[in-house]
Amino acid sequence: MTAVLAPKATVQSSPSRFDVLPYLMVAPVTLFIAGLALLPAVFAVVQSFFIVDALDPPMRWAGLSNFTGLFGDAAVRSSMANTGLYVLIGVTLSTLLGTAAAVLLQRPFRGRSLVIAVMILPWALPGVVEGILWQGIFEPNSGLISAVLQLFGADGGLLLGQNRLLTIGLIELVQVWQITPLSALLILAALQLIPDELYEAAQLDGCSPWAAFRRITLPLARPGIAVAMVQAVIATLNVFDQPYVLNGAASTGASVTMQTYFVSFQNLDFGAGYALTLLITLATLAISMAVVRLVYRKVEM
Amino acid sequence: MPRTRSSKLIAALGLTAALVAAGCGAPSVGNKNASDQTSGVTINVVLAAEPPPKALLAEFTEETGITVNWTNLDWDSLQTKISAAAAANTYFADATNVDWSRVGQLGKLGWFTPMETFLDTAAMKDDVPQLASFTSDGHVVGIPYDASFMVTTVNRAMFEKAGIGEMPRTMDDYTDDLRRIKQAGVVEYPLNIPFAAAEGLSTYWYETTAAFGGTVLDAEGNPQFKEPGSAGFQAAQWMIGALKEGLVPPGNINVTDSQGQQTLMATGQVASTFSDYSGTVGTIYDVEGSSKVAGDVEYLPTPGVTGPAANLSNPDAVGIPKQAKYPDAAAKFIDWFASAETQAAFSGLDGPEKIYEAYPLPSHVSAVDRMVNADKLAGGAELVTMLEGSQPVFEGGAPTWYPKFSNAVYTSLHAAATGSMSVEQAVGTIAEAAEDLAGAA
Repeated sequence: MTAVLAPKATVQSSPSRFDVLPYLMVAPVTLFIAGLALLPAVFAVVQSFFIVDALDPPMRWAGLSNFTGLFGDAAVRSSMANTGLYVLIGVTLSTLLGTAAAVLLQRPFRGRSLVIAVMILPWALPGVVEGILWQGIFEPNSGLISAVLQLFGADGGLLLGQNRLLTIGLIELVQVWQITPLSALLILAALQLIPDELYEAAQLDGCSPWAAFRRITLPLARPGIAVAMVQAVIATLNVFDQPYVLNGAASTGASVTMQTYFVSFQNLDFGAGYALTLLITLATLAISMAVVRLVYRKVEM
Repeated sequence: MPRTRSSKLIAALGLTAALVAAGCGAPSVGNKNASDQTSGVTINVVLAAEPPPKALLAEFTEETGITVNWTNLDWDSLQTKISAAAAANTYFADATNVDWSRVGQLGKLGWFTPMETFLDTAAMKDDVPQLASFTSDGHVVGIPYDASFMVTTVNRAMFEKAGIGEMPRTMDDYTDDLRRIKQAGVVEYPLNIPFAAAEGLSTYWYETTAAFGGTVLDAEGNPQFKEPGSAGFQAAQWMIGALKEGLVPPGNINVTDSQGQQTLMATGQVASTFSDYSGTVGTIYDVEGSSKVAGDVEYLPTPGVTGPAANLSNPDAVGIPKQAKYPDAAAKFIDWFASAETQAAFSGLDGPEKIYEAYPLPSHVSAVDRMVNADKLAGGAELVTMLEGSQPVFEGGAPTWYPKFSNAVYTSLHAAATGSMSVEQAVGTIAEAAEDLAGAA
């Protein structure tokens, strides 16, 4: 008698079995992010509650005194107000101009790729380089604007630093010039997803271009606009290069990140510097979340 | 599940505790891994300056076996890196910049190894008058490698065009002459003051205060400019008054000391810079092609109350951070780099291939003398006298809180220039800052 053994059933990997491979594959990038972003962030949060002053060692518990000290500092308060204006002007202008540029670039035309490539140049330039470039334009004694104004009989150029609102407005224009290309590209990406049929149907229904923009383009571009606004919020809340290069440390244009630099690396009061950094991070998170809540809508096409 | 949560909590608390413990630990002093090798090593030298000529560096390497890896960083970034590296107790460079304004801070922090442990600094004192600006609590933090100090530059051609034959020696005469130049229509705005809210404005005020016969702070760091009759108050009033009177270009409220101010002078838009940097006549204003006033500008003994005033030091030095890997090799480099012989070579006394184009003026009086004797220094005779009489900005050295004080100085004076503060308010704000900082220290 021959015993016929039934073939052994193939063992299937159980769903509950721990598979190490995916974890190994993401481990390098996880370690990279944890080491270079998360760990320093936790470190900064912890140390913002300590006195970490190189000139006043040792490090010791400070409670909330770093935070209260910052709000008691007139220069920091003034920089917070300035930064609020930078955010307001920068986010508004970059979103409006970015939307306008995206709409103009929405339809294919000859040379569109070239226009996009040229448009993106300011975004690719470092802020310091842009500051120096615009310094030549704003230079009140012999700059471009001054020369043009003098052609029309004006006495002098625009004086950065003379008036707070004008100074902030002009400095923020330079940053808007830098960040608008990215806003335009993000919004353009959203516009590319809108089916042409919608516009065709609207046209058949007698819809004007403006009405099509309001009723089709804007609602369907909201995810892109929200992302563009969030990147503008992050950029403007952290503005440093342009005001520092164009207006020095003057209170008429100093931003809150400039104050972080002064507090940390000029005064060597790292605890207060960490506290200010934490406040900037919280403000960035809060405003970004508000923007997403107000502007972002899930779109299905 | 509760077990997982508690594990996470414990891990988080552990991480936090480890971070706090790591942060609380006192930084170790000095670099235990430092090598005393002085040959066959490469040292990193980081300064806010172009590297010296290759021929000279090659000579140094041949003589000593030390290779120099030179990095040129802008001044602001360099200061940030010095602070960040020292605070984190990590290696950054074997030799780097020591700015006169940070000597108090650096002396207290002990971030640099005292130079007297490597070099005979006492023997340098007579030939390097600005060594005093780099001494804190009896320790030499860095060795000056150039002799930058504040000077007054004038466009003699413009003064003569306005009918001024004899150059001014007092502040009153100087101010009157500037008015004459304006009235004669030689130039619309004869005086250069960099009113941008930056360090250069503070320096300008210190030099002007010295011209009015006083100092900004006493040896204990107390403000000396609160009273309206004080030199510092008069200096601030004179500077702001000159702007309001139309002697200074209105656009100067955003002009910085280095490029901005010097460009105005080199393009003939102003007739004088009261507080300029030594060496600018030879390195900027007399350079044919880039300057429109070549041959017209000269140094003027800085006008004072009754006669020429002292010139304030503003030199650059090089020191050895505590975390240097090769401190002895770095010391050997500094000894060579800041020596009178090398400085003479930088200035073109040993042939054109060794000229260090960006080099302003030797810190050794003997090297300056050699330049003057060889007719290699524009305005040399005046500069030697000024260098010998140059004084540190602060009697007791730069206080530990200087950067914060300077910030108050330049932001307040800038605010007065823009009209958002009166001179009284600006000076009051600066005095308040000085008193708070000195009190806290």
